[in-house]
Amino acid sequence: MGKQEEWGFKENHELHAAAGFTIRNILESIIGNIDQKRSGKPMIHLGHGDPSIYPCFRTSVSVEDALVESIRSANFNCYPSGIGIDPARSALAEYLSKDLPYNITNDDVFLTAGANGIEVLLTVLARPGANILFPRPNYPIYEARARFSEIEVRHFDLLPDKGWEVDLDGVKALADKNTVGIVVINPGNPCGNVFTFDHMKKIAETARELGILVIADEVYAHLVFGEKPFVPMGVLGDMAPVLTLGSLSKRWIVPGWRFGWIAINDPTRILQQTGVVASIKSCLTISADPPTVIQGAIPSVIKNTPKSFFLNINKLLKEASDLFYEKVKEIPLVTCPHRPEGSMFAMVKLNMPAFEDVVDDTDFCMKMAKEESVVVLPGDVVGLKNWVRVSIGTEPKVLEDAIGRMKVFCLKHAKH
Amino acid sequence: MEMENNGSPLTKKWGFRANPDLNMASDNTVRGVLYMLLSKLNRSDTRPVIPLGHGDPSAFPCFRTTQVAEDAMVDSIRSAKFNGYGPTVGILPARSAVAEYLSQDLPNKLSPDDVFLTLGCKQAIQTIVTVLTNPKANILLPKPGFPYYEAIAKSCNLEVRHFDLLPEKDWEVDLDSVNALADENTVAMVIINPGNPCGNVFTHQHLKKVAETAKKLGILIISDEVYAHLVFGKNPFVPMAVFASIAPIITLGSISKRWIVPGWCLGWLVINDPNGILKEHGIIDCITAYLNISSDTPTFIQGAIPDILSKTKEDFFVKIVSIVKEAANICYEGIKDIPGVICPTKPEGSMFVMVKLDLSVFEDIKDDVEFCVKLAQEESILILPGISVGLNNWLRVTFAIELSALEEGIKRLNAFCVRHSKKP
Repeated sequence: MGKQEEWGFKENHELHAAAGFTIRNILESIIGNIDQKRSGKPMIHLGHGDPSIYPCFRTSVSVEDALVESIRSANFNCYPSGIGIDPARSALAEYLSKDLPYNITNDDVFLTAGANGIEVLLTVLARPGANILFPRPNYPIYEARARFSEIEVRHFDLLPDKGWEVDLDGVKALADKNTVGIVVINPGNPCGNVFTFDHMKKIAETARELGILVIADEVYAHLVFGEKPFVPMGVLGDMAPVLTLGSLSKRWIVPGWRFGWIAINDPTRILQQTGVVASIKSCLTISADPPTVIQGAIPSVIKNTPKSFFLNINKLLKEASDLFYEKVKEIPLVTCPHRPEGSMFAMVKLNMPAFEDVVDDTDFCMKMAKEESVVVLPGDVVGLKNWVRVSIGTEPKVLEDAIGRMKVFCLKHAKH
Repeated sequence: MEMENNGSPLTKKWGFRANPDLNMASDNTVRGVLYMLLSKLNRSDTRPVIPLGHGDPSAFPCFRTTQVAEDAMVDSIRSAKFNGYGPTVGILPARSAVAEYLSQDLPNKLSPDDVFLTLGCKQAIQTIVTVLTNPKANILLPKPGFPYYEAIAKSCNLEVRHFDLLPEKDWEVDLDSVNALADENTVAMVIINPGNPCGNVFTHQHLKKVAETAKKLGILIISDEVYAHLVFGKNPFVPMAVFASIAPIITLGSISKRWIVPGWCLGWLVINDPNGILKEHGIIDCITAYLNISSDTPTFIQGAIPDILSKTKEDFFVKIVSIVKEAANICYEGIKDIPGVICPTKPEGSMFVMVKLDLSVFEDIKDDVEFCVKLAQEESILILPGISVGLNNWLRVTFAIELSALEEGIKRLNAFCVRHSKKP
C-alpha cells in the first residue's frame, strides 16, 4: 500500500495495547450484539454501575439545586485551578474528616475529573523499575493506565471463599524494594464485598512492613447494606500513608458529573516529606480538570443532601442484593459465592463444563445479549475469566426480569 | 521540606518517591508561571490586581455569558436525563450540534462521527499529542506558542521542534523553517489561529500555503481554533478545515472563549479529512482508544450543547467582539506611549498581544521575568513573561478584560516603566 509511506504519522501502538481491553469497549461489543427483534425484549443493562436512569435512583433534588445555583451565580465560569477551588476542597475535607480520628484540611484534598485521579496517582508513582500491586479481580482502568505510565503491575488475589479478602501472603511474596504501593478497593468493585476493620488493619500493617503506600479506592464509600460498616482506610493512615480516591458519582448517583477527589490521609506527613504531594499537585496542573461550575456546587451538595436520600439508596441496594442473591441460587450453571454487601456489583461464577455450547465468559455475555437482551460484564475484563460481573444497581422489577432471562438462557444452554 | 532526600532514613524505609519531572513540566505552564507571579504580589497594596496574564475575562460582568447558555445548562440538569455515563466520544445530540455549528463555515458538511467531545480544549490537546506519540517521532510547534503543548509533549516523551512565527510579517509561519525542521519522523505541525499569544489572524492565502507545505512534508495539521470568531481586524477568521482536501486537518476548539465559559470545560477534537487518510493510518481508532481510558466532559454539559450552539443570538457575539476590539485598541494605543515596551503589530484576534521589551531603556531590569516579577510586586499587575511562550524578553499581554481595569493597568504599567527607566 504505497499510500501509507506518504504520510509521517501513525497510531500510537502502546496506546492501542493499553486501551484495547476496557469495560467501555467490551460493553460496546456486547451491546452491539443485542438483537431486539429476535429476543422481543427491551435491553437490560447490568454491565456498568450506573443506576441513574431508574427513577427510584434519581439523585436528590438538592444536588440539582446546588448545580443550578452554581451556574446562575455566574461565579464559577472561570478556569479551574489545577487542585480545585478552596470552598469545594474545604467542604470535602470537613465531610471526610467526620469518619476519621484526625482532621484533614483543604490542603489534603485535591479535586479530579473522576477516574482522572487514577491517572494522576499512577503518573506520579511511576518510575523506571518500579512496580505496583493491584488486586485481581480489579477495576481495569488501573491496568490500562499503568500500562500507559510504564509502571510494572503485579497482581495479588482476592479470595472468593474468604469474602474476597486480600491474600496477604500473596502480597508479601510479590513485593520487593521497588514496590511503590498497593491498591485496595473498598467497598469492592467488582466483588461487592466490604472489608472488616480487622482485615484493613492487617493490610495497613503489611503495607508498613513492606514500606509501601496504600491507594484506597473508596469511590463506593458508604454504599454498604450488609452487616459490615464502611470504615475508611484513612483511619489507619498513621500506620502506612494512604491516598484515598473518592467521587460524587456513586453515593450521589451522578456518574455523569465525572467529579472526584484525591485525599491525603497521612498524619505523619511522609508523603509531604518525600515530595509525593508536590508531584501530585504538579500532575494536576497539567491534567484536565473537573469543570469549575461543578466545583462551585460542592459545598451545597455536601451540606444539603438529606440523610434520607442516602438511606433510601442503601435500602434499594439491599433489596436488590437480597433479591439477586436468592434468585441466583435458582439458576443452574452459575453460583454467587458471596452475598453482595457493598458497592453495586456481584461476581457470579460460571460452571463452564456444564454448558453445551458456550465456551467462556465472553461468549456467555455475547450470546445472552443476543438472545435475551441482558448485558453483563465478562469477568475476563476485570481479571477473572469465566466469571461475570453483574450490576445490581437497578430497579427491583427490572432486576427480577433480568435474572429470569438469565435463568432461561442457562437452561437453554445447559448440557443434557 | 519537600525535596526528596536520597540516602536518608526516610527514603530507605519507603518504596515510593516523588516525580521531579512533573514539577518541572507544570512550573512552565501558563498556570504555573502565573502562580509564581501571584505569590509575588504585595499583600499590603490595597489596589485591585489587574490580570493581564491569563485568557479568562469571565470574572467581569460585561463579559458574562449569554443567558441562553445558562438556561441550556439548567434545562439539561433539571431534565435528569444526563446524570449517567455517556459514550466515550460524547453523546450524539451534542456531537451533531457541534458538527452542524462548525459546518456553517465549511464547504463540506461534517458528520457527527467526525466530532469527539473532550474535557475542554486541554483534553483535546492531550488526546492528539498522545495519539501521535511514537518512539523517534517529532512534532512541530510554533514559537512563540501555547506552552501547554510543550508540557504534554514532554510528558509523552514526544520530541518537539520549534518553527518561528515572524513578527515582521504579522506573525505568519516561517515556512522555510518548517521545511528545514521536518524529517521523515515528523508527524504534525500545530498552528493556533486566531493566534495565542500573538493576537494575529492568518490570511486565507497563508493558510493555503501552510496546508500545501504539510502535504509536501507528509504531516497533518493540528489547528487550534479555540479563539475562533474572536476577530476584529482586517482578516476574517478562516477555519483551517477549508483546506482539508490538501492535507488532513485536526481542529481543536471549545465553547470556552466564544461563550466566555472556560469553567464549563467543553471542547472538541474534529477530524477534517475527506480523503480518509487519518482513518487509514489508524489515527481515528487511536483517538477513541485514548478517550476510552480518560475522563469525559460531564454528560449534563454535553446535554446543554445543542441549545447553546443553536439558540445563542448573534448580538451576544457582536457585543463580546466589540468589547474585545475596543480593549485591543486601548492596549495598542496605550502602549505606544510607554517607554521600553514596543507593540510591533496591532492585535486583530484572540485576547492577547505580544509586546517587545527594550531592556536598554531600563536601569535595573535584566530580563522579562524580572520585569514581570517587579511589576507584580510594585504595581499589582500580572503579565506573562515571553519566556514562557518561547520569546525571551517579550511579554504576552492579555487585553480582554473590563475596559476601566485595562485603562488602569496601562496607567500603572506606564508608571512602572517610567520609574525604572534610566535617568537621562
